Amino acid sequence: MIPLVFYVLLASAMFAIGLYGLLTQRNGIKLMMCIEILLNSAIINLVAFSAYLPNVNGQVFALFAIALAAAEAAIGFAIMIALYRLYGTIELDNINALRW
Amino acid sequence: MLTGLVMVMVLLGLRLKNKNIQGYLALAGLAAALLLAIGADRTTGPIFFGTVEVDPLSQFFKVVFISVSLIVVLAGLSRYKDSPAQDEFYILLLLATIGMMVVSSAVDLLTLWVGFELASLSTYAMAAFDRERKNLEAAMKYFIFGSVSSATMLFGFSLLYGLTGTTKIAEVAAASMEMMGPATLVALLFVVAGFGFKMALVPFHMWAPDTYEGSPTIVTAFLAAGSKKMGFVAAFKVIFIALLALRMEWFMAFAVLVALTMTLGNIVAIWQNSVKRMLAYSSVAYAGYIAIAFVVVGAVNNGGFDIDVALGGIAGSLMLILGHAFSKAGAFIAVAVVGYMVLREGKENSDDIEHYAGLGRRAPITAFCMLIFLFSLSGIPPMAVFWGKLMVFMSAIHAGLVWLAVLAVLNSALSLAYYLRVIMYMYMKEPAGEKILEPRGYVLAMVVALVAVFYIGLFPQAFVDFAYSAAAVLLH
Repeated sequence: MIPLVFYVLLASAMFAIGLYGLLTQRNGIKLMMCIEILLNSAIINLVAFSAYLPNVNGQVFALFAIALAAAEAAIGFAIMIALYRLYGTIELDNINALRW
Repeated sequence: MLTGLVMVMVLLGLRLKNKNIQGYLALAGLAAALLLAIGADRTTGPIFFGTVEVDPLSQFFKVVFISVSLIVVLAGLSRYKDSPAQDEFYILLLLATIGMMVVSSAVDLLTLWVGFELASLSTYAMAAFDRERKNLEAAMKYFIFGSVSSATMLFGFSLLYGLTGTTKIAEVAAASMEMMGPATLVALLFVVAGFGFKMALVPFHMWAPDTYEGSPTIVTAFLAAGSKKMGFVAAFKVIFIALLALRMEWFMAFAVLVALTMTLGNIVAIWQNSVKRMLAYSSVAYAGYIAIAFVVVGAVNNGGFDIDVALGGIAGSLMLILGHAFSKAGAFIAVAVVGYMVLREGKENSDDIEHYAGLGRRAPITAFCMLIFLFSLSGIPPMAVFWGKLMVFMSAIHAGLVWLAVLAVLNSALSLAYYLRVIMYMYMKEPAGEKILEPRGYVLAMVVALVAVFYIGLFPQAFVDFAYSAAAVLLH
């Protein structure tokens, strides 16, 4: 059996990659992908822990998290599509009417 | 039980042909839920397999959430009258309210997160509701910051689950008290960062002014007065574990964070020309005042002060949440009236302070309500916010944090500067146009908030008792 620590390392690496992407990317779709990576890293954690613990709470939590991540993606894409219709771009650097 | 009732109202609303009725239906559902929240038995045990619990704390927050969404529905009756999408507005509003109520009752990390997401997802959609340029930009920023924060929170929860083997908040607290270590600290850091976004504490506040300025104004009222308080109830439930579990000096870091939050919020608010943005920054400052309670609890836990001090601090911040919810919601609805007035004249930048010139004569009811809400927000007695500020600042002094209390009082004085500027524009300047007819829904919403602000301010005893019994739940 693969030791637990590898799973946690994988999840942490994914979290770091997602966070790095969020800080460096400026494209709406790429940001959404980064958010999904963040959520999935947490889901991997939950499932891995649950496999090593005597209860399935983590797996139940993971199922809820997957469903909500899908709902979140749907709302996110709806907002991005509406933005694209109005601005003709989803490069977020060009969308800056609000500041200070 | 409450959520079930609201749910029925939503479903009924879906089946109706006449869409104008739905607003009234939502109103009736919320009013019934409010009565239940006030009247119902305040201490049932855990229900739904021990994931949800009704206690004074949850009931206190439910009263806040339901009243805020009641006020917003009243305003929505005018704002979205005869609009084809109004059913969606009310449904999203009610769903968000349900999500917040679930959070306030949750005793399990799973329910907490699901409720949190339900409320967040509905409010993302509400922020983009009018699909104008500013709306969409605001919604986009809110969505990105919000979903990153909930992902961060989920990551923290997953680590907590891995470390303690349970998702029940109380058991997590007990287990992490036993095996304190760097891993628990990291997990809690993720959780605190996640909540920090929702509460708009510095340095996680960047999204708040943009989102509050860009969203439709009555949605802003809901975000500032409702959704943000959800961050606080979640934080009260979870961060307190951290505070009680960690017997370290890290609460000083939190004290610095709180001090920065209120000072930055107030100072930046001073040079805003958009009234909406000014109120948004003042809302950031309020997050700082409310979060003083966390610092007080940390200090009490660390320095061996009396537990009553901590109780007073939490009760004070609950009173602050209550007063701020009504005052801020009312103030934003007054801004919405001005926006409506400006739009009818076909001018741009509806929330610019220039449009408030002579409002006392152009829209007397709105101007008077705005005056009261702004006085209340600056903490002048006998309005609602005064008692909350008094209790929080006193508890800070009792916990030996005199510098923090002094800073908070100075900040309150500073906030008067920018509130008075608006009041001066409303009453001292020449009107820029004709007197207008104020829409009935808005007026009703403002009057409800006004009555609440005065009632809480003049007869605070019942509310203070309620707040104390709610605070006792956290410190049992």
